[in-house]
Amino acid sequence: MRSQERVLTDTAGPEAIDAILRPFMRLAGELAVRFEAPGSTPAAPGDGPRLTRDILVGGRFLGRIVAEGPAVRARPVAASLESIALAIEHLAGAGALPDATAAADARSGIEAELALSRLQQRSIVSLQPPDVAGYDLAGYYEPAREVGGDFFELFRLRRRGRPLGMVIADVTGKGIAAALLMAFARPVIHSALQAAPGPADALRRTNRILVDELHTALFITALVGRLDVGTGRLSIANAGHEPPLLIPGDGGPISTIEEGGPMLGMFSPLDLTEIQVELRPGDKLLLYTDGVTDALTSTGERFGKERMLATVEAARASSATDLVHALSSAVSGFGEGVLPADDVTIVAVGRH
Amino acid sequence: MAMQTTAERVEAGVPVTVMALSGELDASNYLRLVDDVRPLYDAGARNLLLDLTDLSFISSSGLVSLYSILKVMQGEEPPDPEYGWSALHSMERDAEDGKTQDVVRLCGMQPPVAEVLQRTGLDAMFPSYPDRETALAAY
Repeated sequence: MRSQERVLTDTAGPEAIDAILRPFMRLAGELAVRFEAPGSTPAAPGDGPRLTRDILVGGRFLGRIVAEGPAVRARPVAASLESIALAIEHLAGAGALPDATAAADARSGIEAELALSRLQQRSIVSLQPPDVAGYDLAGYYEPAREVGGDFFELFRLRRRGRPLGMVIADVTGKGIAAALLMAFARPVIHSALQAAPGPADALRRTNRILVDELHTALFITALVGRLDVGTGRLSIANAGHEPPLLIPGDGGPISTIEEGGPMLGMFSPLDLTEIQVELRPGDKLLLYTDGVTDALTSTGERFGKERMLATVEAARASSATDLVHALSSAVSGFGEGVLPADDVTIVAVGRH
Repeated sequence: MAMQTTAERVEAGVPVTVMALSGELDASNYLRLVDDVRPLYDAGARNLLLDLTDLSFISSSGLVSLYSILKVMQGEEPPDPEYGWSALHSMERDAEDGKTQDVVRLCGMQPPVAEVLQRTGLDAMFPSYPDRETALAAY
């Protein structure tokens, strides 16, 4: 396999793992990740929360991932680190990490497959939105047949008023590399949104890491927002992602919030403006990934934007939860009998 | 779903390989497109014009293949985007230096495809023309 031949020119096992993890940097004290190779002297632990994950393949201890910082408490961050560990185990077991394991023998091969299926299940992280008084929050995620790259997150930010942070993101491409990139990007985006002055800054920071540190060959579309739950004022920054829908509670026309910049991972610095929107009582915001509009029937017809808008229009008076359910059901029903080629993610935030 | 490509060499002052794409470029065929371009480069092609007149749809995977095609035509080997560490690092970026390339150009982009390229910003990487005639005249 051509890809494995190329990988064999990379650096040896533990160094390769370290190179993958090195791009993590201290994000305003939110998260630091390092890899302790076997036989190395472990660094003294810091004061804050800590998470460790041993990498074991074919009975061999390949090293330990150590993550420290307040962000390790966040479920999506912990899930991401677990995804990274599983991806490393899969690749090591499949003989794709030189020097990290013996030749892919039967046991390693089975372990590789197990790690991959656990990785697939891991990516179905059930992200229960937080309870926010005065709001209805709903999220839906259905993974595609191949392990891949959508994610969303709704979480309270650690600042005055505890605004609601929102993230929806989608990696271009499929497979292990896309899943790995998303597993890296999730904690970075989460931490950046916690720590940065605003959403546009958070994406600029994330982009800088992806371009300067990871030199990624895949890209990420991402939309992040910060909602002042008291006033309904919402700041949004959109890096190449599908424009969100604003559904007014007074029956006015549904609009799309079009402004945005290029997707993450391509250009540095990232030229991005922040958009200010107000969610008045009764209003809803809908975020989605292209798995919705790109969904295919067995006859090759696409779900498309028009059908999505019509579905949302028909369900506009319902709660955020019911709106998400109406759209996700429409997409599933549309693609009946066809294995979804792309992750489907839908998020709705409604103000009472 | 289905996509067809046809390629021909055209004299436009310089030799230009025109590759016409028809159908949809998505996760099912985006790697094959890069495989189609590689032998053209190996055979000496140094100017590639992608005619997208009959391309009705492009997904995010399709964006990956456009970028990979650019790397191939610049003499680099793009990492296999589906497997391996190499897909996560090694790419040097030219676009952030403000240099635009002209080795790969586009023509005939249809609205659904233009919308995706504009939204994601990938359109900034490729000179683009309304049709093949205008594109060839620009060489």
